[in-house]
Amino acid sequence: MTDITKEAMMPPRSFLSQDAIQLFYRLLAALLICAVLAVLSDSFLSLGNILNVLRQASLTFFIASGLTLVVLTAGLDLSVGANVALSACIAGTVIHKTGSPALGILTGLACGGIVGLLNGIMVTALRIPSFIATYGMLWVLNGLTYWYMAGETLHGFPAGFRQIGSGYLFGLPIPVYLLLVFLGIGTLFAQRTIWGQEIYAIGANPVAARLSGIPVARRLLLVYAVSGTMAGLASIIFLSRLNSAEADIGESLTLPAIAAVLIGGTSLFGGVGTVFGTFIGALILTLVLNGMNLLSVSANWQPLVTGIIVILAVWLDMKTRRRAQ
Amino acid sequence: MKLTLGYFTCSFALPLLMAAAFTTGARADGETIAVFTKNQTNPFFQTVRVGADNMAKSLNAKTLQYIPTKPDSIPEQLSQIEDVVVKKPSAIVFTPVDYKAMVPGVEKINEAKIPVVNITDRSAGGKFLSFVGADDYSLGLETARFLLKTLGGKGNIVIIEGVKGSLTNVDRVRGFNDALKEAPGAKLLASQPGNYQRLQALQVMENLMQSNSQIDGVLAANDAMAVGAIEALDGANRKAQVIGINGTKEAIDAIKSGKLLASGDYNGFAQGCLGTMMAVRSLRGQPVISEIVLKPTVITKDNYQPFDLPLEQRTCPTFEDAGKLGAK
Repeated sequence: MTDITKEAMMPPRSFLSQDAIQLFYRLLAALLICAVLAVLSDSFLSLGNILNVLRQASLTFFIASGLTLVVLTAGLDLSVGANVALSACIAGTVIHKTGSPALGILTGLACGGIVGLLNGIMVTALRIPSFIATYGMLWVLNGLTYWYMAGETLHGFPAGFRQIGSGYLFGLPIPVYLLLVFLGIGTLFAQRTIWGQEIYAIGANPVAARLSGIPVARRLLLVYAVSGTMAGLASIIFLSRLNSAEADIGESLTLPAIAAVLIGGTSLFGGVGTVFGTFIGALILTLVLNGMNLLSVSANWQPLVTGIIVILAVWLDMKTRRRAQ
Repeated sequence: MKLTLGYFTCSFALPLLMAAAFTTGARADGETIAVFTKNQTNPFFQTVRVGADNMAKSLNAKTLQYIPTKPDSIPEQLSQIEDVVVKKPSAIVFTPVDYKAMVPGVEKINEAKIPVVNITDRSAGGKFLSFVGADDYSLGLETARFLLKTLGGKGNIVIIEGVKGSLTNVDRVRGFNDALKEAPGAKLLASQPGNYQRLQALQVMENLMQSNSQIDGVLAANDAMAVGAIEALDGANRKAQVIGINGTKEAIDAIKSGKLLASGDYNGFAQGCLGTMMAVRSLRGQPVISEIVLKPTVITKDNYQPFDLPLEQRTCPTFEDAGKLGAK
């Protein structure tokens, strides 16, 4: 590929700066929530609690980061949570049977990746809309996991393996390091590589992308495989943090991941958004729940408040975006 | 185009349906008991199903399991009832996925004149031969009493609730709170939702530990949440007495290793056994007990042994035992 075509595919600069404005608003919203919580609760600003929030946000972020790429192509991956459940159950079994965490981790990542690849094949080769394909996959994965686990749970993993999800390094939880690493990789990949820019281009206008020589099918395959592999990674973190796996963990993971992507400002219509935005989205969701626990908000009100925050965040986003245009 | 599509669908769907029919097909001999449970994810219902199978086998009857593919799905259980009414099993052992919403379904079974036994969650309506269940309120009350006794009637307590508004959660948490009222020395710090999910309970516990420097006891509305809370405590190098409810295998292991103080046994195995027993007995013209509410057992390190057996090796209670276990 020549430099000229590379240059031509980069989005115009004003586009990137608009993303920067959106990120700024989002950070502001997160800081505002922090400020309110700091006033209302003495313990909110403690180092322990900040690390808590980051560690809790990391699991949602891992799932949501891969999902961001899918949404950037104007697709959706509804199977991520079910993928985490199946990958966790299979990886857990491998660790139990072989006693080797390394083998378990590889199996978990591979299982997640293969599911993602299958999603990609359905979307590209069979041309099934991603919403339907991954919804079907969600059922297939649930069925497999329920059948495989037969109502049992897996629990008890080696102490070394547990370190990944529960351990500390220089005072920081290990998932927080992973969070920073994948935030960096995701951002660099999306903003600074040709592949990343091609993904934006596919989401903005798939026909134009194809006509300008982007191998659309191959990029889509990549995007779904990455989303699946990140679900596989999340399954490993889940296993090692919770010390157990059961068939029904998926349902509680999918919607928060989708919410993090949307609160983070990635458009469901594709082509607009950032991985960093998704990180802020995951952070906002976690902050709200953390705050309500610290303030002992009644169990009745928690889902309601979370729902309102999600709606408010997306509404504010649309509003500022229109103004910026 | 339409034709080929139709052909395509048939060639895929037919073998699948036939395969499904073969694996679930009923045998001609002995009575066929259709067993309805709420989901395939909660280990509790697995114990119910194994109990039902166990009893059916010993009575030379056969079970057919009906489980919604989407956990606790009301429309799905309703359509399974419609299927079963057409299929006409000898009798039905029924757990409603929702005690109110499934009443029309129960009425359909009644109209079809298929005898039905209600287990686990008491249906708000319909006619049943018998009810076999446990009492969530006394499970909550007795497990919380045990925790408070262990703590000497004092200390800082947190409750981790299940799904708000679900029947099991309302009654269990009411039991917890009533036990707390009996111990004026104990202080309830917070009652926060974990939605019966391990991860949510872990995160709630992490958050609560930030604002409460001293937590002595944790009352969790199920075992998965109790274990999640223990992981959070371990992660922060803190100690508290934790109880759960359901008596799952995981909870028994945690009690053995001293991490979990106790779990309330919901007795799913006995519920499955006795529900099936009542159904078969009525078909054979033998007397049945119209209501059995099993007394809660608080499983602790002193009495966990009988619960530590694999499900397949457990034995069903006899008809005589049923009376002692809680007949009214």
